[in-house]
Amino acid sequence: MLLEIKNLTKTYDDGTQALKNVSFTLSEGEFVVLLGLSGSGKSTLLRCINRLVEPTSGTVLLNGQDVTAANGAELRRMRRDIGMVFQHFNLTRRSSVLRNTLSGRLGYNSTLRSALGIWSQADQQRAFQNLSRVGLLNKAYSRADELSGGQQQRVGIARALMQEPRLVLADEPVASLDPVLSHSILKYLEDLNHEGIAVLCSLHIPSLARRYATRVLALNDGNLMFNGLPEELDNERFKEIYGQDAESLED
Amino acid sequence: MSEEKKQTIKPVRENRTSLQLIINVVLIALVVLTYTYGWNVTQIDLSKLAAPSDGLKGLVGDLFHPDIVARDRQSYRAYRTYLIPCDAEHQRAGAVGEGISIMPDCGNIGDIVTIAGEGLRPNTSGTIAWRTQQGGTKILAQIETDDNGAFSFTTRVPEAPPGQTVGQHGSEVILRWEEGTLRMSETAKQVLAKMVETIFLALMATTMGVFLAVPISFLAARNVMATTRLGLTIYFLVRLFLNILRSVETLIWALIFIVWVGIGPFAGVLALTLHSVAALGKLYSEAVESINPGPVEAVQATGASRVQTVIYAILPQVMPPFLAFTIYRWDINVRMSTVIGLVGGGGIGFLLIQWINLIQYRQAATAVWAIVVVVATMDYFSAWIRKKVV
Ligand SMILES: Nc1ncnc2c1ncn2[C@@H]1O[C@H](COP(=O)(O)OP(=O)(O)O)[C@@H](O)[C@H]1O
Ligand SMILES: [Mg+2]
Repeated sequence: MLLEIKNLTKTYDDGTQALKNVSFTLSEGEFVVLLGLSGSGKSTLLRCINRLVEPTSGTVLLNGQDVTAANGAELRRMRRDIGMVFQHFNLTRRSSVLRNTLSGRLGYNSTLRSALGIWSQADQQRAFQNLSRVGLLNKAYSRADELSGGQQQRVGIARALMQEPRLVLADEPVASLDPVLSHSILKYLEDLNHEGIAVLCSLHIPSLARRYATRVLALNDGNLMFNGLPEELDNERFKEIYGQDAESLED
Repeated sequence: MSEEKKQTIKPVRENRTSLQLIINVVLIALVVLTYTYGWNVTQIDLSKLAAPSDGLKGLVGDLFHPDIVARDRQSYRAYRTYLIPCDAEHQRAGAVGEGISIMPDCGNIGDIVTIAGEGLRPNTSGTIAWRTQQGGTKILAQIETDDNGAFSFTTRVPEAPPGQTVGQHGSEVILRWEEGTLRMSETAKQVLAKMVETIFLALMATTMGVFLAVPISFLAARNVMATTRLGLTIYFLVRLFLNILRSVETLIWALIFIVWVGIGPFAGVLALTLHSVAALGKLYSEAVESINPGPVEAVQATGASRVQTVIYAILPQVMPPFLAFTIYRWDINVRMSTVIGLVGGGGIGFLLIQWINLIQYRQAATAVWAIVVVVATMDYFSAWIRKKVV
């Protein structure tokens, strides 16, 4: 089992219960889509997995190793195996595309070398390969903020690939993009999934889930309401997840 | 509708107004009292402004007469003897020679002699003196050569002190003039040396301040430190430290460091550095706190260490504000370094206060102008840099 989440609970300092006793597993090769209304706890769940958010209780096991108990260097080593792609891309806007891409490799490099901006030939090679893979080789030396949204998200994917991850967490990777670009980005995720990297991707458009997911999870107010195949997501289930006022599955 | 509302509200308002009135009167009385006391305690006396003292007139005059340039001083000296009394060799013939002549060249006290010059520097002023054999000297007159470099002066051989009346007397002519290209006066040289010291004082303090303030500012940024309990503790301590540092003015720090390391520019550098660290530490840390947390999380998520996160996600974001604050601080430090010498912290201020105390206003004016020029130039320079880089 690649990822095993057991009784994960998160209560924020202000008392908000964002996750309530969530448990599920995720195997190699899966493309799992996480659905739920905004505020249902999707981001919190994804961030608890790599400990950007500190879980209140529960455990996260990655390859049987306890992420929640790890600290310092151990946690950083575990994070190397988990790539992350963000809704707002989260690139360092004033740095070059290449430097943003290379930053995905920081976990493998000593602080001193990377502080001085010294990168091995192999890492540079890897960066160019990953940029070429997302079709941005010619933008390597552009400043990140000169790129369009879709291009920036592709840099985000290249950065995640630099980690040589076993799992990629994608937090609404297409929500700030033009709908026509959604498929382009999700296809990159699908490609790397076919190469053996597991994907856990939150989306708020169910139709996209049915197109890409091998399995669907759904959160409602911090509770895991659904864990099954995309085909099982019928209208009844849909209303459980999105509330009685939700109109239809098709959008 | 609205009419009715007004009527019901009015009485309440009137009550309020009378209370408000009392409060206002008390407030006004307090304000008047405060400022009356302030006026007296600071000894404000506008009539003094209207009747300027002579000192002020001198000061203003000298302000437009700074001591900046001078020329080399040259002089010419010639001497001819006059024997008292005449003997066999000297038969009232006159001593003619290079430069000046004396006619006749022997005689007695009270005789008429003509001292003349030829081929000297034209239009040059000087003095004629009479010397006895023993060296007693008396200035006879101020002279000025004509266009051809000649002069002539007739007088009586002056009385000499007892015991010096006979022997080889003589006349000495000294011409003095200024020649050559303009060069800096001694004052200007001193001012220049101290001005260089002043600028380097500002440079050293700003540089050291920046190097210390950058790491400190990360320790004083909540978003960087608040991830752990220890971090939060350090954050509060560093903030407290910066606040204490900042609450003491640079000149006070200079006085403290003078006690520590002695009078001189080093004390000034330390004082300015300390205040720069305090001010920049706060400004920098606020820039760090206002960054976009997204890239920081993204870099953290890759498994980067804290230092790597700072370098790859925070520094690029804070570079423009850091630069802006640094240039701003440089401006302040240049200004401060011109006055820190007033208390003994090195730089131009040291000369300024010294000359003012000695009432050497022309010299003081030179220092003041130097300060004006340097500060204005630096302002211009930093505005130019700001435009280029920020
Ligand atoms: N840092 C935080 N502090 C307090 N409450 C938070 C914080 N982040 C998220 N929440 C709350 O937790 C709940 C889940 O949020 P989130 O995980 O962002 O949901 P989603 O990603 O599905 O929109 C929401 O009610 C949100 O307001
Ligand atoms: Mg979210």
